[in-house]
Amino acid sequence: MPAILVLLVLLAIPAILTVFQSLFVVPADGVGIGTFTRVDNYLYIFKNEIFWATCLRSILFAAIFIIGSTVIGLAGALLLNEKFVGRIFLRGLLVLPWACPWLIVGIIWKWFLDGNIGLFNGVLIRLHLISEYKDFLSDPKLALLMTALAATWRQSCLVALLLLAGLQTLPRDIWDAASVDGAGIFQRFRHITLPWLRPALTVVTVLNVIYGLMQFDVIFAMTQGGPGSSTTLLSYLIYRQFFIFTNFGVGSALAVALAIIALIGGLIAVKTLYRKIEV
Amino acid sequence: MKIAKRRRPLSRARIIRSSMIYSIAGCFILWILFPIWYTISSSFTQPSKIGIHPTPFWPANPTLDNYRMVLGIPVTDKNCVPGIDIKICQTSPSNVSVNKIVDTMLHSFYVASLVVIITLVISTIAAYSLSRFRFVGSNFFLNFTILSRIVPGLVLVAPIFIFLRVLNLLNTPWALIISYTSFTLPLAIIILKNYFDQISIDLEEAAALDGAGRMQTLKLIIMPVAVPGLIAAGVLVFLESWSEFFFALVLTDSYTVPPLLAGFLGMQTFNWTLLSAATVIAIIPPVLLTMVFQKYIVTALASGTGK
Repeated sequence: MPAILVLLVLLAIPAILTVFQSLFVVPADGVGIGTFTRVDNYLYIFKNEIFWATCLRSILFAAIFIIGSTVIGLAGALLLNEKFVGRIFLRGLLVLPWACPWLIVGIIWKWFLDGNIGLFNGVLIRLHLISEYKDFLSDPKLALLMTALAATWRQSCLVALLLLAGLQTLPRDIWDAASVDGAGIFQRFRHITLPWLRPALTVVTVLNVIYGLMQFDVIFAMTQGGPGSSTTLLSYLIYRQFFIFTNFGVGSALAVALAIIALIGGLIAVKTLYRKIEV
Repeated sequence: MKIAKRRRPLSRARIIRSSMIYSIAGCFILWILFPIWYTISSSFTQPSKIGIHPTPFWPANPTLDNYRMVLGIPVTDKNCVPGIDIKICQTSPSNVSVNKIVDTMLHSFYVASLVVIITLVISTIAAYSLSRFRFVGSNFFLNFTILSRIVPGLVLVAPIFIFLRVLNLLNTPWALIISYTSFTLPLAIIILKNYFDQISIDLEEAAALDGAGRMQTLKLIIMPVAVPGLIAAGVLVFLESWSEFFFALVLTDSYTVPPLLAGFLGMQTFNWTLLSAATVIAIIPPVLLTMVFQKYIVTALASGTGK
């Protein structure tokens, strides 16, 4: 099968090479392999405090992103599953953020939150929540939250669309029968809707884990990892190691570490969400 | 029972229910629209009016000048008294990078279309064989395909970068076409396999009895049914190529739209009103595509979530 060969060449070989390179001191031009150093690159990053701090930050970013998108997306899906005037309009709107490339999401939010001209500040001032314009992205405490919020903005719409597709296959009879039996709205949600959505939620969460941990574009557009290193995620660290310091060995080791974290995250999502359906 | 429900007068519970629905819907609309509305309204704002506090919701004296500048059309200052030479009153888009947006969008179209064509050709064959034949390693290959969606480009970028440099393909459209194809193939294969799985084998066997070859069966029996899948896969692949930023940033010199916009971000001379106009122009193609093909895309993605 030629298709298989193409895929193997394009994906498997780079993957193996990345692992391979992570074991060497690679010359700056990246061509050929340098000295075999066994696991020195890994030792170097594991002994480095910056690595662990960045890992934590990446996981925190992903956690805000995953929880935010799932909660907002689920709320949106439940809402759109009801009948009300303007439902079609709102459904059409959901496509809008999702059609925006991640980088453009970053651009849109960077200026929306801007400390001088941003509309977000304008709204908060009108509501008397703040007294003067505030630069959210240069506040180290808020920057990570704000970048995660921007990413959530796009992803929550995709989650809503996918969960809505799942909800619409839910047979109305089950819901009505439970309602006749006297189950309240929250009981029905917990015992009928959630179990029904579990397969869809699993896939959505795996997607969210990947996008959350690998997020690069939004950070690049909004903060470039700053202020300080308060929004430097692992993905951004890898980018810097490769293309600014041209340190391919350490960069590859970081990339392998990130891939492992993403795989673990994905596995946790699948295990926790899938085990319950069998009970 | 339903009729009885309909005739019931507005009860308190129903009023509470609908007011809850509308307030949540209102929040949702604000959440979606606010950020993007600001970009749209800024793109019609005069650069001199951008610093007004509190930031207005609606541009005062909306203007198309930002779009003119971005698209490379000279802009005439209305307040200027023309002397001998009218050109004094015109601000031409002197900054070369400003009117680059049109060229770059064409590049993006070129890359995305080629990626779509290559991906669809290869993935149709691969998905079909995965759906119909059991061969040595077919399970491994399927798992590998799914797994490769989970380990994304960021991890593979260095070897690809070095490959392309050795082959002297850096800074060419082929750098992007080759690397994008490697990421869009698994996506397209998974989607198309889902569609092929739904087509009954009986129909195919009937065709085979009538003497149709494998390729003929594919063309006459499978393709008509799989067209929605092909549309969905094609649109998703196009969107992915159009949106991709990281590879375009490191493999080329702002060949496609996202890295070009990212470059504008860092420019002192490039203000937000111009950038917002460029941004609006850049999201028109993907927004139109998703609006038109929304049904196909959501079905394809949702059928993937069922498994």
